[in-house]
This record gives sequence, C-alpha cells and structure tokens, in this order.
Amino acid sequence: MQSAIQPSCFDCVLRPDRLFCDLPADALEAFDAIKVVNTYPRGTILFREGHPARGMFLLCQGRAKLFVCSDSGKRLTLRTAGAGEVLGLSALLSGASYELTAELLENSQVVTVKRKDLLRFLRDHREACLQVVHLLSQDLHVAYDRVRSVGLGRTRKAHAARVH
Amino acid sequence: MNRAGSRPRVSGEGHRGWFVLSPYGLDIIESCLTCKMRVDRIFCDLPTADLQAFETIKYATAYPKGAVLFVEGQAPRGLFVLCKGRVKLSICASDGKTLILKIADPGEVLGLSATVSGKPYELTAETIDPCQVNFVKREDFLRFLKEHGDACFKVAEQLSDKYNTACHEVRSLGLSHSAGEKLAKLLLEWTSKNGEACKQEPRLKLALTHEEIAQMIGTSRETVTRLFADLKKRQIVQAKGSTLLIRNKAALRTIASNG
Repeated sequence: MQSAIQPSCFDCVLRPDRLFCDLPADALEAFDAIKVVNTYPRGTILFREGHPARGMFLLCQGRAKLFVCSDSGKRLTLRTAGAGEVLGLSALLSGASYELTAELLENSQVVTVKRKDLLRFLRDHREACLQVVHLLSQDLHVAYDRVRSVGLGRTRKAHAARVH
Repeated sequence: MNRAGSRPRVSGEGHRGWFVLSPYGLDIIESCLTCKMRVDRIFCDLPTADLQAFETIKYATAYPKGAVLFVEGQAPRGLFVLCKGRVKLSICASDGKTLILKIADPGEVLGLSATVSGKPYELTAETIDPCQVNFVKREDFLRFLKEHGDACFKVAEQLSDKYNTACHEVRSLGLSHSAGEKLAKLLLEWTSKNGEACKQEPRLKLALTHEEIAQMIGTSRETVTRLFADLKKRQIVQAKGSTLLIRNKAALRTIASNG
C-alpha cells in the first residue's frame, strides 16, 4: 500500500467533500471510537452476497465493484463505488444478508464498523442518520437505473457484454 | 364507523355491494395514533411524540383502483404512506414497454427516495385496489426527518428494504436464463410471502393478469400464457379459477434453479 493510514477522521482533508464523512464534531468523535481502519489489496472481497451483514464498509481510498452472482457463477455488475462511499449499509440496516458482493478494484483504505456499533451510533446521532438516509436514496436511484437498463433497455448483445 | 368497515375484506376481491359509507368501500383510519396495524409496520411504529408530529403534516386520502399516485420522471412533491390496498410500482421504457418492479403492500412508504433526494420519481405508482394513502409534502417531511431521529432511522430501514428489492430485481432480470426460470422463481416467492411455502401443495391466489405477470418478469403475455399451459400440462401446477395449486413443488424448484 502506498497511502498511509489515517487514524482519525478529524485529520482527513477530504472529509468536507464526502457525504457521509462531513459530520459534526461530536458525531465524528463517536465514529472515530467505533471504526477500524484497514488497508486491503486489490481483489479483496469485502463482503459476499448471501452472507449475514456484520458490518459497514467506508471506502476512504480506492474503488470497489459491486455485483450480483448467479448459482452458475455468472456475474452482473451493479455499479462501481469510489472513495467516500459507504458499502453494505442497506443489508446492515435491514438485518438481512448482503444483497451483493463487493470486490476491491485497487489497493484500498477501508473503514469498518460493526453492525451493533453502527446502529447505536445512528440512533445517537441524528445528523449521521440523516446522511445515511440521503446515501441510501442515492443508492436506490442508481439501483432503479440499473433495473431499467437490465430489464428494459437491453438487447441480447448488450446483455451478453454486461454479464461475464 | 361504517358497516363495510366492520366486515373483514379479502385482499384482491372487489367490494361486494353491501351498504358502504366510506369512499371506495374503505374503512378510513383518520389518525395514526389509533391505528391498530401500526405496530406491525416498519415506518408507522414510531414513538408517540413523533407520531403526533407526523399527524400534523399528513393528509389522509382515499383513491379508487387504477389511480396514479405519481409518475416516473415527475418532480417529487412528497411521499405516500400506503395504509390500505395495494399499489403497482413500475418503470417504463420510451417504447412503452413496462416492467413491474413490485406490488407494494400496506405499510410501505412510496416515493421515499425521490422525496429525500429531490430527484424525479424513479417509478410510477398505480393503485390496483381501492387504497387509503397518507400523503406528506416534501418540505414538511424533510423538516420532520431533521427533527425526529427515530423516524429518520425508520426511513433508513425502509430505504434499505427497497434497495434489497431493487438488487433482487436486477439479479432476477439480469441473471436468469429463461422466462420459465423467472416465472418459477416468482411463484415460489409468492408462496413464501403468503405463508404457504412449507405446505406440501402450496396454494396462491393470482391477483395479477398474465400481462402483469409478464411485466414483472420482463417477458411477453404470450410467453406467460404458454408457460402456464406447459406447467399445467406437466401437472406441476393446477388452476382453480384464480387460485393456483402447486402440485409439484420440487419440479418448480428445479425449473427455478436450472431454467
């Protein structure tokens, strides 16, 4: 890994530009206390579709591919997530299993927060919960766009190109 | 209340002609505070203070079957909490082809992500039963969310559920081999929803037309009719009016997994 790990979100210069990270000082302090920062190499699977949602992942640096997979191993990419994005949030909130798989496309710095800690944090910090609502709304718009393109706008050739 | 309200109403059936005072035969629940169904619904089960605040911003309305609540691409004016009845959520291609994403059940909040983000509604919502809907204006709802943390959490949970459904839909549309596989999956999903999945021969009431089922799995009406005929011929399903009896669950599961 080339980038140095940032121990505190307070020191992060990119914070104001990122929807989830731009939190008031008290919320940020609480978030700092529950997060774990790790670096992972390219190709790491952060979470796998169908596995119980144990935590949330915040991409500080790097990119990840989010895809669904059929029983026969065919993959369909839902989207690519960039730095500043939160992954695994919806599964964690609904208490279900992860609905897709996240695989890192680059060496990445990732913040992990356990489910129990995040739920408590969101209940205690309304601003963070509001950010989460906005993030989920955006994710949902992207997912509906994908439903539209897969379900309505496809030709056999275009479909074959997307599934690999 | 009215006489119709005192009788249980079977989902999917029309009203039966007895004397009705409420609009469209609906027993309108005026206040969320007195609603008995509240505790079972993700969004509605709010603390009393939040619920009182919600009462002041909501408009209880009733719609007949076939009413359009909002249209895909329209600027968001607010959200709709579905109290009674069912609503069809669909997206439409420019050539008019329609894809039904979901049939929303009571307790669901419709138009939520568009109301929060300010982006146009991404779906069209049309009632398929007479419905009671609580409408909340966008600006009122955003203020309500900022002031009520518990409600905000409920909204996050609702959005998560919707996201799961959307991912499920992408997977089903994009990764299924054939229309037969998609139809088998849909039938099995319906049996698990109505609590019949554990039975040897699950029964389900087909509340949708072949055209609408086709729109749910992204195929044509003709294909759905052909697939049903084939399933009946192979004695995997048996139709009795609008009720479908799944006679060979194992065979249906095989079709769902292999296509």
